[in-house]
Amino acid sequence: MQPSDLKEQNFDHYPPEARALAVENLATLRRVPFALLPVLLCEVIDYDWRFPAEQRALDRQFAYLRELSPSSFAALMAPFAGILLPPKFAATDWVNQPQRFSERLSTDLWSTLQIDAYRKAATQYQNRLQAATPEKAPAVPRFAIVVVGQGVAQTSLPLFRPLRPHGTLFTSVQPEHGLDRLVQFMNQRAADHPLAYSHWYIDGGIPIADCGSRQGITLTSYSALAAAALEELNLTNKFVEQAAQRNAANAETVQSFIAALGLEDLGLERNVSDRVLRHFEVKVLTEGAGTQVFSTTFVQWSAREALRRAQPLTLLTRYAPRQRMAPMDELLKRNPLQQATDAEGSLIDADMGAYYTWINQSRLPGSEDARFLVWYEGHSVALAIAPSMARAATSDEHADMDKILGWMT
Amino acid sequence: MNNLFSKITRERAWTRREFLRTAAGATGATFVSQFHPLMASVEIHRRKTVVVTFGGGARDEETFAPQGQENIPHLLNELIPQATFCTQLVNRGILGHYVATASLATGVYETFDNFANVAPSHPTIFEYYRHALGRPADDAWVIAPSNGFNRIGQSSGIKFAPGYGAQVILPKHLLAAALGPDHPRRDDLNFLLQDSYENPLSTPVMSHTDVSISRLSEILHVSLEEFTRHAQTLSSADELSVYVMRQLMRQLAPSLLWITLHDMDVAHSGAYSLYIEGIQRTDRLCGEIWQAIQSDPEYHGRTTMFILPDFGRDSDFDVSGNGFQHHRTGDPLSRTTWMMALGPHVRPNFTVDRPLDSLDLVPTLGALLDFPTPFAQGKPIAEVI
Repeated sequence: MQPSDLKEQNFDHYPPEARALAVENLATLRRVPFALLPVLLCEVIDYDWRFPAEQRALDRQFAYLRELSPSSFAALMAPFAGILLPPKFAATDWVNQPQRFSERLSTDLWSTLQIDAYRKAATQYQNRLQAATPEKAPAVPRFAIVVVGQGVAQTSLPLFRPLRPHGTLFTSVQPEHGLDRLVQFMNQRAADHPLAYSHWYIDGGIPIADCGSRQGITLTSYSALAAAALEELNLTNKFVEQAAQRNAANAETVQSFIAALGLEDLGLERNVSDRVLRHFEVKVLTEGAGTQVFSTTFVQWSAREALRRAQPLTLLTRYAPRQRMAPMDELLKRNPLQQATDAEGSLIDADMGAYYTWINQSRLPGSEDARFLVWYEGHSVALAIAPSMARAATSDEHADMDKILGWMT
Repeated sequence: MNNLFSKITRERAWTRREFLRTAAGATGATFVSQFHPLMASVEIHRRKTVVVTFGGGARDEETFAPQGQENIPHLLNELIPQATFCTQLVNRGILGHYVATASLATGVYETFDNFANVAPSHPTIFEYYRHALGRPADDAWVIAPSNGFNRIGQSSGIKFAPGYGAQVILPKHLLAAALGPDHPRRDDLNFLLQDSYENPLSTPVMSHTDVSISRLSEILHVSLEEFTRHAQTLSSADELSVYVMRQLMRQLAPSLLWITLHDMDVAHSGAYSLYIEGIQRTDRLCGEIWQAIQSDPEYHGRTTMFILPDFGRDSDFDVSGNGFQHHRTGDPLSRTTWMMALGPHVRPNFTVDRPLDSLDLVPTLGALLDFPTPFAQGKPIAEVI
């Protein structure tokens, strides 16, 4: 089937809101080149589980495409129309399995050396969309907080090196009650700006009490998801063993198997009070590499995805020691919460993770006004980035967390 | 986008060049004046070549940039002062480790599925070498990091007469064979058998091997007990590979030796500390390989060593990637890497700033050792030959 052959009934198996969106934009979808359409449908098919920011972005995209003149539409799509795909792709069920199509598309683009052309087309398309449908900066500045170093009594590591040029390094922070104060700060922002999925707390271990859904905060933690991660690994190991017996185990089939795992497979259907968040967690575990085995990777990737997808006003991430490195076959079978930990290595992971969180926050609208704070938990070192903070500066002024937050806001 | 590509690759080159000038404390003119064409004194048929590739590229941020230099003391302080350093080696092919390494070995961008058990389509450097110079099978070896590389030594034979490939040795297979399924220390040594970091779930750890114990003893001239005992002293799979390489050098002294190191690809797990450890270990092992060459009379004074990552890793600033973790975006930094060459004929402390292609390696080796590489698509690097 080609895009021009699309009919309303092709979307009968989509969730209700996704189906409505597809049907409403059927005329547009029929004109989108084959190299782009299934990628777009990956967004559409999950519409019911998307965060409000994602839904708004998709709505804006369709509105923009609908209003384009035929010639402008053709010009926008021309780079994708120039991508050559094998005819067999049209025979796949790309409407109902767009994710699988995307995986095959990626493989084909690399093997036919068209990946650079596709990358260029995608970049141009995104730039045009962003220029034509800019998202407004948030009503209040975004604020991201990263807490690192849990379990490390002292370190010789020069912390926050890549961040130092952008903010002020505090070397005499009074650590007492620092974590409590950060939680109070989070909760206050959530109370002041009660918007769904706008205030996130991601913890690499057991989360701090009184900082969750009751306070209007979207909470996810590695300790809560470790069982789901282990279940994912068990299911995948079984699949690989069975596929190997049929001589059918390869990277593509395994990837497709993992991508198809859902809430029920991972045992997350028991807590459906927040189905959108549960779907997010499934994506973190099934699409993120290493999120299943290392809590530090879980925190970094979850923060990246939360910022990219939900565009929160406030984000608190707290790293905990991950399990020690072991042979991969052991990592992929054992309970990560019952192993010896590597606190020093986790601090190095978290230090880099903090930098990546700042980069990801900087990609969002309103970044010029955003605030970012990273703190070595329980210690006197923190770094603050804000319009009010000097860049590439160091301060040895004694200050508690309240004072630093006050300077930043 | 092309402008951006050019701009970024130029910036990378500047970083490396400026580093070299400040760290090495020399100028291009000095380099040239110090050059003595010692290669002329080594007859071509006595020359040896060692190629070290990294499967799982390392970025400038963790290596040549100021904050990364602490991770590569051996490359910086021991090897670069003796090397011709190419600052821009661009890989325009598929950024998967096996297919990219196969492309390095054929001089053609291979397009097969990275995770498939297939041979390169085009003739390898080993086939060109053995066919043209009439070398025996034991004169060309590949020490490969994982299951997927086991067919890298010999092309599919469509374009070239079969039977001239390199012998491929998979140290992990050897160890698995030596240990057997019931060895009392097997669990302790499992960490040396890790096959792939990129798709660990779809690549079962090697529990079976077709390499016989007798073959192990024959090749390496070590007993089963010695081999497993030595393995217990090692901390990584790459150390095992270098140990096997040194045994090969001692026992067979092959003239064309290719080793691919893989530890740093643990970056796919997302743990930055493990990635850094991998880089530091690789740096140390490169120094040890060069020392092994210098201390072995069969290699000293007649060996050229090339060191190059197969490609880079994603930039921190590419929105579709996740920084150091993967090499999936195809962004300029994931495609741009470096190469160094060391040896008696190679200009020490010399920098090549112009863009080169990953495919240039095979024609360069052909020019160095005086054999044709007719299907290779790169060009000999004039500054190295």
